[in-house]
Amino acid sequence: MKKLTYYPGCSSHGTSEEFDKTVKMVMTSLDVQMEEIPDWNCCGATSAHTLSESLAYALPLRNLVLAEKLDNKTIAIPCASCYQRLKVTKYHMDNNPELALRINTTIVGEGTYTGKVEVKSMLQYCYEEIGLEAIMARVTKPLSGMKLACYYGCLLTRPKAITQFDSPEYPISMDRIVEALGAQATEFDYKTECCGASFSISNTEVVIGLSGKILEMAKESGADAIVVACPLCQSNLDMRQPDIEKHFGKQYHLPVFYFTQLMALAFGADPKELMFNKHIVPVEEALAKIGKVEPGPEKIKKPKKALEAESEVE
Amino acid sequence: MITLGLEEKNEILSEVNRRSGANVLECYQCGKCVSTCPVSNYMDYPPRETMQMIKLGLKNELLMANSSWFCLTCSACSGRCPREIDIPAVMEAIRHIAIEENYINDSKKVKEIRKFHEIFLDMVKRYGRNYELRMMAEFNIRTRNLFKDMHLAPKALLKGKIPLGVKPMKSAKAIQRMYKLAEKLDKKHL
Repeated sequence: MKKLTYYPGCSSHGTSEEFDKTVKMVMTSLDVQMEEIPDWNCCGATSAHTLSESLAYALPLRNLVLAEKLDNKTIAIPCASCYQRLKVTKYHMDNNPELALRINTTIVGEGTYTGKVEVKSMLQYCYEEIGLEAIMARVTKPLSGMKLACYYGCLLTRPKAITQFDSPEYPISMDRIVEALGAQATEFDYKTECCGASFSISNTEVVIGLSGKILEMAKESGADAIVVACPLCQSNLDMRQPDIEKHFGKQYHLPVFYFTQLMALAFGADPKELMFNKHIVPVEEALAKIGKVEPGPEKIKKPKKALEAESEVE
Repeated sequence: MITLGLEEKNEILSEVNRRSGANVLECYQCGKCVSTCPVSNYMDYPPRETMQMIKLGLKNELLMANSSWFCLTCSACSGRCPREIDIPAVMEAIRHIAIEENYINDSKKVKEIRKFHEIFLDMVKRYGRNYELRMMAEFNIRTRNLFKDMHLAPKALLKGKIPLGVKPMKSAKAIQRMYKLAEKLDKKHL
C-alpha cells in the first residue's frame, strides 16, 4: 500500500467538496492511504502573494513544516492554486537561504523547515506515481463514447522551472488519464489559457471574457464536457457558464467535471455518490453518452419543444 | 531622473531585481509577453512597456499604474519569454513596493481588486481558512454593490455549491501571530 500526505485546501470544505470526496474514493480504490496534514491552514492563494511578500511564503510554509512531521515522501494537493503556492514556497525555501532564514521566523514554535517532502498536484501524483497501467487495471465501467476537453489551467504546469511537470504549453497527462478510462480526449488548444481565476469575484467581466473563450474552444473541439483539476477553473467554467452564454448569446451546455469524478465513475462507483447534483450545468446529457445515467426528471428538451409548439400555434 | 542601464543609480530597477530574482536588463523588447498576456488590454502599461519603464527608472509611473494589479500570475508571458524572465515576479515586486511605500491607484477596478484580497486575508486571519460565503457577502457590502452575483445565489446555495458555514482551524491563533510577524518583515524592507 502506498502512503501520501494530503493537503485538501479550503475549497474542499466549500465549492469543491466533490473534488475532495472523489479524490478520497479514487485513492481508496487505488490502494493509497492518505494522511491529512493535521490542522492545516489556508495557503493564502492568491491574496497573500498579491498583498504581502512575507505572508505569501509564511502561510504555505506552516503546512510544509507540519507535513514533514508525517513522514511520507510526498504531499499531494488537489487544488491547482494551493499546489502552486506550496510548490513555489518550497522552491524558494530550497534555493534562497536568505529568504528561508527570514520566513522561518514567522512560524515560531511550529518547527523548522528541512525540505524533505516532495510537493505534487493530485494530477501529477496519479500520472507519475500511480501510473496509467494501474489506473486502467481498475476500470470496470469504461467511459467509451464520451468526448472530453481536458483543461489544465495556468497553474499546474507553470512556471516550468518550478513545477517540473508536463508541458507548459500543451500538457497531455490528463488526456492520457481520461483515455485510460476509456473516453476520448479532444484536440483542444486552450488547455493552459487562464480562466481569470481569482478575478471571479472582484473583476467578473475579465472572467466572463477569458472563460468564454475556453468554453468556445472546448465546444469547437467537439467535446461533450470539460475535465479540470482545479476548483477555481471548475467554478469559473461551471457556475459562470449561464452568465457567459447570456453575455455572448451562445449555448454551450458543457458540464465541467473534476478528473477524479470521472475516475471514480469508471472504477464503478455509484453516480449518486459523485455529487453531480452540485454542478450548475446539468451533467445528465454528457453522461448519457456512456449510458451510465438516464437523463434526469428535468428533461431540458421537453419544455423547449412545448414552447415552440405554443409559439407555432400563435 | 533617467538612468538607463545603471542599476546602482536606478532605484526601482535594483529593488525589482532584488525582490523578483529576475534581471529586467535582459529584456530585449520582443513583445511576446504582451501578445500572450490575457489581460494586457486592461493594463495602463502592458508587460513589455513595464519592463522598459523599469530600465528607465520611471518609479512613480510604475508604482501608480494599474498593471501589476491586473496581473493574474498565469505565467503565460514568462513561459514564452525568450529571455526566460519571470515577469509575474517582476509585477509582484512592483505591487509589493507600491503597497509598502503607500502608492495608491484609486481607480474603481484596482480598489475592488485590492478590497477583495484584503477581505480574503481577513477571513484567513479570523478562521485560518477561507469562509467563501462570508467573503462574497463582505465584498458586496464593502464595495457597496449589494446585488452583485445575487442571481447565482439561489442555485448555488440550494445545490450546496457554496456552503453556509466554514470549518475553522483549531489553532487560528498561530495564524494571527504569523500575520503580525509577517507584517513586521514586510515593513523592514522600507
